[in-house]
Amino acid sequence: MSQLIISVGREFGSGGRVIAEGLAKRFGIPIYDRHLITEVAEKIGVSPEEVEELNEAPNSRLISRKVRGYSNSIEDNIAEMQFDFIRKKAESGESFVVVGRCSETKLKDFSGLVSIFILGDMETKIKRVMEVYEVNEHDAQNLIEKKDKKRKRYHNYHVHMHWGDSRLYDISINSSRLGIDRTIDLLEKYIRARTEE
Amino acid sequence: MLAAQIFAVVIFIAMFLLIVWDKIERHYITLGCGLLTLVVVFGICMRSGKAIWNTLAIKCFAAKDFWYQVSESESKGINWATIVFIAGMMIMVEGMAKAGFFRWLCMKIAYLVKCRTIPVFITFMIMSAVLSMFIDSITVIMFLAAVTVELSQLLKFNPIPMILSEIFCANLGGSATMCGDPPNIIVGTSMGFSFFDFLLNTGAVAGICLIVCVIFFYLVFRKELISENAQPIDMSKLPKPSEAITDKKGFIFSSIIFGIAVVLLVTHSITHLTVASIGTFIAIITLIANAKDALGLLKKVDYKTLLFFIGLFVVVCGLEETGILQYIADFISDISGGNIMLMVAIILWMSAIASAFVDNIPFAATMVPIIQSLAPIVIASGADPNTLAWALSIGTDVGGSATPIGASANVVGTSVAAKNGYPISWGRYCKKLAPATVIVLAISTAYLFVRYL
Repeated sequence: MSQLIISVGREFGSGGRVIAEGLAKRFGIPIYDRHLITEVAEKIGVSPEEVEELNEAPNSRLISRKVRGYSNSIEDNIAEMQFDFIRKKAESGESFVVVGRCSETKLKDFSGLVSIFILGDMETKIKRVMEVYEVNEHDAQNLIEKKDKKRKRYHNYHVHMHWGDSRLYDISINSSRLGIDRTIDLLEKYIRARTEE
Repeated sequence: MLAAQIFAVVIFIAMFLLIVWDKIERHYITLGCGLLTLVVVFGICMRSGKAIWNTLAIKCFAAKDFWYQVSESESKGINWATIVFIAGMMIMVEGMAKAGFFRWLCMKIAYLVKCRTIPVFITFMIMSAVLSMFIDSITVIMFLAAVTVELSQLLKFNPIPMILSEIFCANLGGSATMCGDPPNIIVGTSMGFSFFDFLLNTGAVAGICLIVCVIFFYLVFRKELISENAQPIDMSKLPKPSEAITDKKGFIFSSIIFGIAVVLLVTHSITHLTVASIGTFIAIITLIANAKDALGLLKKVDYKTLLFFIGLFVVVCGLEETGILQYIADFISDISGGNIMLMVAIILWMSAIASAFVDNIPFAATMVPIIQSLAPIVIASGADPNTLAWALSIGTDVGGSATPIGASANVVGTSVAAKNGYPISWGRYCKKLAPATVIVLAISTAYLFVRYL
């Protein structure tokens, strides 16, 4: 397997982004997450914060319409720009890690793709969100539910199969069982086994 | 009958909600709802094989009137003439696009005005309106917006005002002819109008409104279009129009075929060829001219839209056969109190407001039988019986311009702009285009009152 593309889908608070960063480091390949936001922000001439608001967000159905693959929704167009970006990167033969962006489906035709979904127990996720975002337990739970709902709607709008459905990914793993570092270890072993094929 | 009426209304409302929900592809929605109408409304509730047969209208293909029409006639059931015509035009447009016709035309016009921003702005608006009179506005805007973005990057101007103006003019141009916008084809084929009937009635007001709009958009956008950093234009650095042509032979053929289509449409009241036979003929000669890639062209036809139409016509027939549309017609008649002016204003403005938020095709298909039911009241008042048809066409075609989701051209134009780094929000869109829509509707109302009542 000469090209390696690691797609990481994740529940909010599961440590998915940190795991993706860890994998990128271990395999010495770039990670596309924040970069996808700045790239789009530069292209459309707005601040990364404004794109962040609309990033991985579903469109507002009542004020959006799609015609022959074209959409008036800014959310949809930002999503399409990001899909194009990762597809072009994949076509160039580059190896990389990509977080979210329906990449497990959008890049499924590339033989070098390893798709992963990181989930977690609610208690562990709340604890983690409380630490990282410095919020109380109630707010942490609300934030998790809100963010996951948004990711789910975004994913299921752009892709036919359901977000988090294990049949969509090569491996789904609960990071609460082994903790972040050991989850990275296990995933590294799995990916190395795949690349040796 | 009551059960049939209830089911017909429930199916129709469910269809509309599912289209707005946008989770299932819309052709599946209309086909599914159409099937339900045939089985539940006509089959189970009405037990009427005749209603099913009339709705499917398959026998129309064998009728001479479908291909060659000497006297005006109205059609019922699935409007196959609309479907055959749109399919034929889709094949022709695919052939033209493949040869590079549209990109060449845009670049050629930009060159003719020496790529100066304001002249490009004005000529592109006019070109958008004129092309949309014959070709679907989606294709027109797809190419025009892409070339506008390309020119804006080379000439350093903001493309958003130009794209917004092009969208508006495409919708306005579409209202001018029978083949310009799907609602007009539905109205025209259902009520037996010719290309010239539209041109002399909706076309006349569209022409007046185009002049007003060009002035309006020039006044509201001129400051945004003139860049302070504008450099003298070096024409040698710009892409040549001829570079847009991908296949010279195909380009010549597609230009000739387009010319033939225009001539046939303009003269169809003289030749008596119906839009169905024109669509079929144009499709056949396009496929013969592109014999090597005929299969490729056929594959590119937007079958989903054609299937959407078929299902939609069946659902609307459900409302018509069960008498629901007659109730709506009676309601409009009651609230207008027999006042024709009020009736015309209601049809025009209600069509426009509805089309600004929902797809204008289902709306027009639903309204056609209603205005046919209202025609006797108009005739009795001594007014032109077709006034309501023109009000419906103008309302549905122009009203769609008011919001980014009102018409297909709006969605395509704003999407092309966003993908190239120029997102257009609802606020940005409506701030200029909603007032322009109101202006055109006001002019149209006055036009209908003065000319026909």
